[in-house]
Amino acid sequence: MARVALRNLVKRYGDLAVVDRISLDIDHGQLVCLLGPSGCGKTTTLRLIAGFIEPTEGEIQVGERVVSSPARAIEPQLRNMSMIFQSYALWPHMTVMENVAYGLRLRKLDRDVIRDKVRAILNMTKLAEFEDRYPADLSGGQQQRVALARALVVEPETLLLDEPLSNLDANLREEMRFEVRRLHDQYRYTTVYVTHDQAEAMTAADRIVVMNKGRIEQTGTPEEIYRRPRSEFVARFIGGANILRGPSLDARHMRFSGVVLRCGDAEIALNGHAALSIRHHDIRLLGAPPSSAENVVPAKVARQVFLGGMRDYLVETHDGTQLRVVTSAEHSFAPGSAVWLHLPPESCRALVS
Amino acid sequence: MTAAVAAGLPGRLGRVDLSRPVVLLLAAVLCLLIVLPVSWLVYFAFTDRDGLPTFANFAPLFSDPAYTEPMITTLVISVSVGLACAAVAAPMGWLVARTDVPFARTIRSLIMASFVTPPFLGAIAWEILAAPNSGMLNQWYRELTGAPPDQHLFNIYSLTGVIFVIACYTFPYVFVLVANALERIPGELEDASSILGGRAWHTARRITVPLALPALLAGCLVAFLQAMTLFGSPAILALPAGFHTMTTKIWSLFQYPPKPGLAAACSLPLLLLTVVLLRAQHMILGRRSYQVIGGKSGAPRVIRLGPWRWLALAVCLIVLLNPVFLPYLGLVKAAFTHVFSQPLTLKNLTLEHVDFVFFEFSSTRLALKNTFLLGILAATLGSGLALVIAYATARRVVAGYRVLDFFATAPVAIPAIVLGVGLFLAYTRPPFVLYGTLSILLIAFVTIQLPAAYQQLQSAFRAVNPELEEASRILGATRLQALRHITAPLLRSGVIAAWCFIFIGTIRELSAAIMLFTADTKVISVVIFDLNENGHLGPISVLGILMLVITFAVVTLANRLHGSGAWRGQRVTG
Repeated sequence: MARVALRNLVKRYGDLAVVDRISLDIDHGQLVCLLGPSGCGKTTTLRLIAGFIEPTEGEIQVGERVVSSPARAIEPQLRNMSMIFQSYALWPHMTVMENVAYGLRLRKLDRDVIRDKVRAILNMTKLAEFEDRYPADLSGGQQQRVALARALVVEPETLLLDEPLSNLDANLREEMRFEVRRLHDQYRYTTVYVTHDQAEAMTAADRIVVMNKGRIEQTGTPEEIYRRPRSEFVARFIGGANILRGPSLDARHMRFSGVVLRCGDAEIALNGHAALSIRHHDIRLLGAPPSSAENVVPAKVARQVFLGGMRDYLVETHDGTQLRVVTSAEHSFAPGSAVWLHLPPESCRALVS
Repeated sequence: MTAAVAAGLPGRLGRVDLSRPVVLLLAAVLCLLIVLPVSWLVYFAFTDRDGLPTFANFAPLFSDPAYTEPMITTLVISVSVGLACAAVAAPMGWLVARTDVPFARTIRSLIMASFVTPPFLGAIAWEILAAPNSGMLNQWYRELTGAPPDQHLFNIYSLTGVIFVIACYTFPYVFVLVANALERIPGELEDASSILGGRAWHTARRITVPLALPALLAGCLVAFLQAMTLFGSPAILALPAGFHTMTTKIWSLFQYPPKPGLAAACSLPLLLLTVVLLRAQHMILGRRSYQVIGGKSGAPRVIRLGPWRWLALAVCLIVLLNPVFLPYLGLVKAAFTHVFSQPLTLKNLTLEHVDFVFFEFSSTRLALKNTFLLGILAATLGSGLALVIAYATARRVVAGYRVLDFFATAPVAIPAIVLGVGLFLAYTRPPFVLYGTLSILLIAFVTIQLPAAYQQLQSAFRAVNPELEEASRILGATRLQALRHITAPLLRSGVIAAWCFIFIGTIRELSAAIMLFTADTKVISVVIFDLNENGHLGPISVLGILMLVITFAVVTLANRLHGSGAWRGQRVTG
């Protein structure tokens, strides 16, 4: 069983901790996405798992085996892993066939076995007709599939993907997201997938690990991450959210723009300052004060944009906070008009500040 | 992003950390090549015969006309060459790079031909053409005009002659820099100016010229440096005219009785000036960043000259008469006639020079053997050394890679004749007595050629994305297997090209060889120089043509190999 475990992993360059005490368990057959902005340490984490670099502290375990620790690191070629690189890293001097067969040849398999396996994977990735082409003669999407085929054909215990779709154009990227997921469902390799694109992560991942500044911000299923962001960073990075700040009153209530707001779940930190997040489309926009005054904040429309299926508002509360609200297209409030924002308690998430 | 940070790390070579011994070994080799001769040079410049510190060696440089005059002459020549090259190369670069002048590729090839012609050979060819009495051009002039035999049109043995001949073989440096810069200016930049209302002339003045100016300036500096440090052409043309440049002066200080202290003192200003000018050139070209702003850059805009393009072609060809057509013609005629200044008749045709060179004259065969042996050894050792250093620095496998980078680039700042003096001083005494052996020439050639080979291989390494190696590692290859299967094949053409260029650089080298040869270790260039002192222009021409043929063959081979392979033209970076 290829369970991958990172324990207190640290990678420091000089004084800079690029990876800062990361602990993570990845179950066998699971596809985990490391998601975060540039420079958050996700690629470094992946390269640590691959064994291209060695940790400053902590260790990496695959199955029962410690593969990386400051004292000893097993070389990449002995880890039984495969990796797909951002640049695809296809060898330009080898044909598609040779590229794909390379790992099998290193494993000294029988010539016939190699041919059969290569044929099978090329069929699987719809590349059979290109086997004698050089990578330079292929389109971006085809190159991508060669990279996939080359990584999968060796039947690795662990599959690592480093921004594999970032070089594709938008349409192809969307298609390949599902392709990656489909291949994963078929082969069930333990997979670590690095990306900065949340849609990619949402489509492909069983579990998302949001990283920021070398640390893990939050781990969870795509739905958990989206519905219950625990920090402001996650709330903003995944899906976009309004952040409301104010003094905390008790574990469930805070004051915002002169109004007491109730939070649906999670405890508000009782250190005086509270922050909560609410998604743009979870806010209801009303033209008149509602009868029940709970969680209703008066505001003024600053800007509105008609987007066809919906309207995108920028509103300003009395304390000057600007919030984005996305509503259905029917209600239209002109800029300058007074509105009331209803923030349903179950959509308000208290954040760990 | 993070990958780039990771690549900047000292890694480990397999289980055993080989990085330290590798760095130390390479550093030691490079020290032997560079630090040792330069140190001896400095030591000799600042000590007297008894080894006591003194500044006396520098005194004549400022007071004795025998030294001040060559310095002034050298400056005059260098400045004139720099300006002349700019005046010729800039318009030609523009014509070839930005207009529809016909046969632009051929013009480029011809300029490359003058680039690879050894300058001393060009100087000799111009002796054949324009020596006051025997020169072919002067003969024609007298025949055409009926002028008396003591009249001449050209005298190549003059300051003007020296400047002219040096410029002939130096302008390609400026041309290449300017043409490349002009080609790199994306057409959009000029279109942007036009669309904002700039007229063609305005656009040229405000956009094109400023963008190409750094390259032109840098080219002038290179031309200046070439002219300043060249030995062959002034030795061939200035000495008969009775004046010296710094390089010929340094050389004469090693004629009997040798004055090493003075020679060292004369060498140091050349070394310092070279270092300073190369820094300046680096700074000028280093500000180029504004040329690559923006994403996709379009092809440069080609300017249609209309009927004028034939005039442009004619101008280019007339310019190319001087470094290529006329000299080659002179060499061929001198090689196959009894007396080259006589008209070309059947009676005047002969193979006697060929016979003389290859069968009668004993020095030639030894020199040929030495030259090829040195060429092959220098190319092999040099490209090997450059390869290892380039790997260490491009992949940053070792902590001290910056030191290696510095040492491998440093020789570019040491003029060949200065290096020759330094090597002479360093290896004529214990602990390394190499003077009189081929080894000292080998050291000189490897050192001189190292920077170019190193830079070529380093950019070759940079063009191979490290992920290509990593992809092989993660699929099960050891570090060595990855190098063998992936890196080596991708670098092969680069290595072969580097090898070829060291080889041709070596077989045409004169400035350092002239300081270091002995009777048993003569090379072709030295033999040519000797023959010239005795006026044997026929045999020289035979040797010169042989040299040119070999050079062109190797250059063609290198270019062809460089461009071959099924993956040509694709992004190796993936």
